Amino acid sequence: MNVKVSLKKKNMMNEKFGQKFEPIAPYENDIIIKSKKLNLWYDDNHALIDIDIKVKRNKITAIIGPSGCGKSTLIRSFNRMNDIIDCCKIEGEVNYHGKNIYSDDINIIQIRKSIGMIFQKPNPFPMSIFDNIAYGPRLHKEYRNVDLDELVEKNLKRAVIWEEVKDRLEDSAISLSGGQQQRICIARALAIEPDVILMDEPTSSLDPIATRKIEELIFELKKKYTVVIVTHNMQQAARISDYTGFMYLGEMIEFGETEQIFEKPRKELTERYITGRFG
Amino acid sequence: MAKVMHEEIINLKKEFIEMANLALSMLDDAINALINKDIELAKTVDKRKRSIRDYDVDMEEKVLKLIALYQPMAIDLRRLATILKNITYLYRLGRYGKDIAATVKNFVDLPPLSESLGIIHMWEHVKPMIEDAIEAFDVEDISKLKNFEERDNEVDQLRWSIFRESVSYMMEYPKYITACAYILMIARYLERCGDHACKMAEKIHYMVTGDHIEIS
Ligand SMILES: Nc1ncnc2c1ncn2[C@@H]1O[C@H](COP(=O)(O)OP(=O)(O)OP(=O)(O)O)[C@@H](O)[C@H]1O
Ligand SMILES: [Mg+2]
Repeated sequence: MNVKVSLKKKNMMNEKFGQKFEPIAPYENDIIIKSKKLNLWYDDNHALIDIDIKVKRNKITAIIGPSGCGKSTLIRSFNRMNDIIDCCKIEGEVNYHGKNIYSDDINIIQIRKSIGMIFQKPNPFPMSIFDNIAYGPRLHKEYRNVDLDELVEKNLKRAVIWEEVKDRLEDSAISLSGGQQQRICIARALAIEPDVILMDEPTSSLDPIATRKIEELIFELKKKYTVVIVTHNMQQAARISDYTGFMYLGEMIEFGETEQIFEKPRKELTERYITGRFG
Repeated sequence: MAKVMHEEIINLKKEFIEMANLALSMLDDAINALINKDIELAKTVDKRKRSIRDYDVDMEEKVLKLIALYQPMAIDLRRLATILKNITYLYRLGRYGKDIAATVKNFVDLPPLSESLGIIHMWEHVKPMIEDAIEAFDVEDISKLKNFEERDNEVDQLRWSIFRESVSYMMEYPKYITACAYILMIARYLERCGDHACKMAEKIHYMVTGDHIEIS
């Protein structure tokens, strides 16, 4: 992360002082989602402005920024969740594995299956824990011959909630604590084998212990999945993510490796935001 | 809450500068005591060793507390990291002052060895390095640190010339061997002080720019 300059060998001190940072090397091959000149309007509110972002496979990408800057809008645009909003107009591209998900021949069901979403407030279905997890697979015909008991157990284990609920799978998911509900939602998202998991402030309604569990889980998830997480908690972004994007008023002000963003941001606006010198 | 932290950091920076001035005064007075064979002045240097220690302990505690309470980022974190590292160097500078002051009594009945052997000259090189580092820290501007590498090399060379002169002096006047050995020690301390100024400069450079550099 840090440029280490040996001044002894080259005696180039004057040149080295105050030098600018090199851009991060391109990582085109591992890019799973890539937006190009993405613009989004809610009526005449220009909520996303020329967003070019690259989301890298098996990494955790965090999106930070003040309230209303467009974080949720951005990640919703990654699986076309904005489609359901009437006043919303989109221009530009979001390429998923190289294919624009806004092109006409795209299968939206398939996109939503591959790109799952976890919300701020845990939203388990008002049904049993078991059925919450089995719900998605039951809808998709490729799971017709799958042993649902096994599938439910596997995904509850992946979401590190199995031990807590294995003896009460028939209980309503609503009866669980917030932190448990959130992990049920993650298990539910995992059950349909997504590729990317989008998370919109997944821990902001949880206590510190539940938050820690979810964070550990997210960290585990990146071995198999790609995670994009919106968070207001800067320490959380710093702890768990590999890349961080800072948004302000609909623009991606700075995007880079998380350590760089939090240790030495390039843009003054980022610096002011993360050090609390904002507004 | 961030505002409270920013104020605390400003206070810590002020305290750091106080500590730096204390360390500098210990060295400066030790050298003056040596040149003037001023035992009383040397004693006052020794008395200051407690308070430089207190700064070290106290500031370390404050920095750690701020980090734990506020989890600072970017420039704030770099400021605190720099303070945490550099108080150790300041503490050592002060200790060298104390160590030099402790040798003064050995020179009282001797000709002006320290002067003739260039200790003052060496100090005149080291002192401004420390002062420049403190100023760079204070105003968060690295321009005064630019030529530290060369300045440090000069200090090294001065130390070797003191070494050579002392050795020939000792051969010629065996009765001054002990005193010359002290001179060698002092020259070594001052050279270390120059190194510490460089180490501080590296951290200050990091604080200001975010880039790590290596000076000699
Ligand atoms: N469904 C919607 N209809 C109309 N405008 C919307 C809608 N959702 C968001 N907006 C507007 O778009 C802008 C970006 O909102 P968005 O929810 O993406 O921000 P955010 O960064 O997620 O904020 P927060 O941190 O508060 O969740 C805001 O001006 C908001 O008012
Ligand atoms: Mg939001």
